[in-house]
Amino acid sequence: MIKRIVCMAALLLSSPGWTQAPPLAKGQLRLPEFAALTDKASESVTVTLDPQLLGLACRFLNSEDPEQAAARQLCTSLTGIYVRSYSFDSDYAYPKADIDAVRRQLSAPGWSRLVEARSRKEQTDVDVYVLIDGGKARSLAIIASEPREFAIVNVVGNIDLEQLHALEGKFGVPQLEIETGKKSGVEKSPAPKK
Amino acid sequence: MSQDIENELRRALRPVDAPADFTARVMRALPPRPASAEVVMLDVVRSRAQPSWWSRFSTPAALAASLLVAIMAGRHVALEHEERQQLAGLEASRKLMQALRVTSQKLDLVYEAMQRPPPVTPPAEENRS
Amino acid sequence: MTPLHSQAGHSSLLQLARRGDIQAFESLVRQHQASVFSVGYRMLGRRDVAEDLAQEVFLQLYRRLDSIESMEHLGFWLRRVVANLAIDWLRRPAHSATQPIDDELAMVAPESDCDPLMSRALSRLLGELAPAARAVMVLRYQEDLDVADIATALDMPVNTVKSHIKRSLTALRGKMIGAQLIEELP
Repeated sequence: MIKRIVCMAALLLSSPGWTQAPPLAKGQLRLPEFAALTDKASESVTVTLDPQLLGLACRFLNSEDPEQAAARQLCTSLTGIYVRSYSFDSDYAYPKADIDAVRRQLSAPGWSRLVEARSRKEQTDVDVYVLIDGGKARSLAIIASEPREFAIVNVVGNIDLEQLHALEGKFGVPQLEIETGKKSGVEKSPAPKK
Repeated sequence: MSQDIENELRRALRPVDAPADFTARVMRALPPRPASAEVVMLDVVRSRAQPSWWSRFSTPAALAASLLVAIMAGRHVALEHEERQQLAGLEASRKLMQALRVTSQKLDLVYEAMQRPPPVTPPAEENRS
Repeated sequence: MTPLHSQAGHSSLLQLARRGDIQAFESLVRQHQASVFSVGYRMLGRRDVAEDLAQEVFLQLYRRLDSIESMEHLGFWLRRVVANLAIDWLRRPAHSATQPIDDELAMVAPESDCDPLMSRALSRLLGELAPAARAVMVLRYQEDLDVADIATALDMPVNTVKSHIKRSLTALRGKMIGAQLIEELP
């Protein structure tokens, strides 16, 4: 009897369902943990707020603080926020391959590149993507890289671009001239590639 | 020009003197020093025979004390759990604000890039026949 | 101040104050009152509130003397506490509107190499910045703290401090151009 139980347990544990990574929500990117970079980086921000943690975080925001009150309003429609941001003391100390792997996820159906900004002078590359589903933005992704820092931001949920726009002044979010209701993304590239 | 603004800011933001009586005001507001602890020697009188009331009430007193300790321990555990939840919530909200600030900073880069005028490309030379 | 305290090294003053020497503590207050009061005044724009704030800072210091490790730590600690208390005060709903700067503050006598009109305008414009940005600017340009120290004092990432400085300078510059106090370069 005990032998049977042990065998069944072994079967269950070895089945694919137990060893796979947890399924991702629609619009959620699979982000590396970059554990090895944390020691190398001069500054790092790693945030993983799934729906449960995000809900908890929103409950503890101080509604008397204008910045936190704006965050609370924004978060009611979000289901996850994931950030990996690292700064280094030397150029290109981060693995470009890992960042390219994230970029590849953004070529999946539904994702549109909203903005592509390149600065030759400051060697800055910033790409902003949105996942459009049913005519609405369901996820936002930002990949920004400079010689001494990179950041990947993934915001999941009903992205209200107008609300994001309206945060200007509270988080200093600039006017992106985002037009809501567009079916495909618009690439704006002020510094054209040569 | 940015350097000029910074220099002007340094000039404009010179330290301002506190009011003349400020130090006296602070010293008046200081809390009084606590009185030094007095150690009082207690004479403990030990008698050989326990009073009869002790043998009568010691057991129920011990039971009552144990019950009280159990209630307080339970309350302590509940308070600790609440405190842990609160710490977790505050940490999560701090992370949330951090994430939103990073998002804002990166969107700033986009804004700056869009504000920058595109590079002027020199006109192509005409082919001369 | 007694001759003993006037001759005592700064670190000795701190040690004496920690042991309960009230005159040593008074000397510490005198040494740092201008800096603490100034930060409060630049943040809040009101002399009366800045006095209350500065007093609160020194009362907190009195309670926490044991945690101060050195004179350098003391200076940093005072700036950190006054800046954060000022931000908290400004963020309260009753005070969330930008505070008009006292006319008296705006008319602090300038040094000979200073443009009084410019200084006055900058002081006023600083009062229009959000609390966190204002604190960064005051700690940077009045207290001359570097970016890393400001980040530690305000519990902010370094990049956020840099961002506040950049945006605030841009905003101030724009408003100075608008007020025709400086010229816009082509």
